[in-house]
Amino acid sequence: MITLLIHLSPGDIASALTGAGDLDPLVTSLESGGLTLLVLVLVGTPLAWMLARGRLPLPRVWEAGLLCTLLLPPLVIGLLLVFMVGPYTPIGEFLGWLHQDATNTFLALVIAQVYEAAPYYVLGAQAAFAGVDTRLEEQAGLLGDRPFRVFWRVTLPLAAPGLSMALATAWARAMGAFGAVVIIAYHPFGLPLQIFTTLQETGLATALPYALVLLVVALPLPLAAYAWSARAERRRRG
Amino acid sequence: MLNADVEVDRRDFTVRATLSVADGERVALFGPSGAGKTTILEAVAGLVGLRRGVVELGGRVLTAAGTGAGAGPVAVPPWRRRVGLLRQDPGLFPHLSVQANLTYAKSAAPDAAELAAIAAQLGIEGLLPAMPARLSGGQQHRVALGRLLLAHCDALLLDEPFASLDAALRRTLTALVKDLAAQRTVPTLLVTHQLSDAQAFADRLAVMDQGEVLQVGAPDQVVLAPAFRRVAELVGYLGFVPAAQPGLVAGVHPDRVAAGADPARGLVVTGTVIGARPSGAGWEADLRAGDAAFTCRLPGPPASDQVTVTVLDPPYFGPDGKRIESDVSIP
Repeated sequence: MITLLIHLSPGDIASALTGAGDLDPLVTSLESGGLTLLVLVLVGTPLAWMLARGRLPLPRVWEAGLLCTLLLPPLVIGLLLVFMVGPYTPIGEFLGWLHQDATNTFLALVIAQVYEAAPYYVLGAQAAFAGVDTRLEEQAGLLGDRPFRVFWRVTLPLAAPGLSMALATAWARAMGAFGAVVIIAYHPFGLPLQIFTTLQETGLATALPYALVLLVVALPLPLAAYAWSARAERRRRG
Repeated sequence: MLNADVEVDRRDFTVRATLSVADGERVALFGPSGAGKTTILEAVAGLVGLRRGVVELGGRVLTAAGTGAGAGPVAVPPWRRRVGLLRQDPGLFPHLSVQANLTYAKSAAPDAAELAAIAAQLGIEGLLPAMPARLSGGQQHRVALGRLLLAHCDALLLDEPFASLDAALRRTLTALVKDLAAQRTVPTLLVTHQLSDAQAFADRLAVMDQGEVLQVGAPDQVVLAPAFRRVAELVGYLGFVPAAQPGLVAGVHPDRVAAGADPARGLVVTGTVIGARPSGAGWEADLRAGDAAFTCRLPGPPASDQVTVTVLDPPYFGPDGKRIESDVSIP
């Protein structure tokens, strides 16, 4: 951030970001990032809970799958996604039947971001759930709560600080996703691709303002998550 | 009334127990660690499955499995059992205040008067806004107990709840739970490996070992007349000396030994002192008599290497480990 500010003048920022459509990549990134978080929360949270509580068959296989997406270079993930959801694959054909396309579309961007961010959220959420003492859940059940109510009243609040940190990390990863995105979702441009193409086409001076925008819009959520998590811990300590 | 006739498979052995606890009655499950005591509580609470058996509470069948009778297996889930379980870890919800913990149960009436009354009875009325992390161990246990009372459970299951507390606090809380259980007239089952806790709390004592209930009876009856040599070992008999009849041994409880020879009161034994140390207000001495060794408490240090003591009205055990019911003549 400091380096960016040193190398950028207010004039550079203004001239790079005030043209028509200059902020479209920002809107695209925010929309796709928000949708990515929604998918991760809706799908990743139950998956993480089941992994933490040993409710899935072959848990090591699931964990290995998550780690693979972490270990592989994002570029390779993008290539594999082409083989998985490209137009000539069964999934791609199904999407075509729905008049959707998972290459070079907003949907493709979300898919790429989900794949890049999922391990960060699911593994973090799994650790958060695993940290909740199952005897507290058991006690809540004996006090009359059904399992879903136990989850809502005990498991989720106790795991929440860890979940928020995992979500913040996943958000940061989704906003900065580039490797898989450049393969499967070259269009529409989000901020990382905008930085890349602007750098190639007009040079560093016009690309850097977008990097600053990326930092400015992506940072508040993780920072808020850190602050909330710390506040929750302080409250718990009384 | 709580009736439990359960068989639960564990990795090492099968736990078998048949127990009845009347309303207002307090029964202590006593035995060494790993004897299967907690497994029985968990079976009653519905936290472990039964291989076979029935659990009934207040006429409701909570669990029925493998009995081959009736309408088939029954397994009422824990949240519908109305059974309160208090463990060594009080299990307070750390994200909720003391007051929110106390009123957590759905069955906890939103009655401020009852909350205030129980909080006052437990001495936690000033702690209601506090978070559990701020409480001492004793205070946490009081809150956990209050939570169970406000939940209006039909049975109380206490799994060594105060084992981690110091002796004085343990005595105080044990007395408190005893009073509260009596007021609520609910069946109460305590698990403990401390005989003194069991004696202080329970109307009846069930001694367990290796998954089996060996003896059930009034605490003093179990201690003074253990049915088996193993029960005697578990309730504190620290030695067995040969009786006059061949094959029989007499159990020596360190607290039931008088210095000197008094054949009218029990078995007179003379032994060689192999060790002695101060113990409480007196002394504890290890004696050897022939091949047998035993420990006894004496009012002062042994005066010589040879000590004669009278083992007061000892229980006698046959070669099979069972207590001999008939009188055994004192040699």
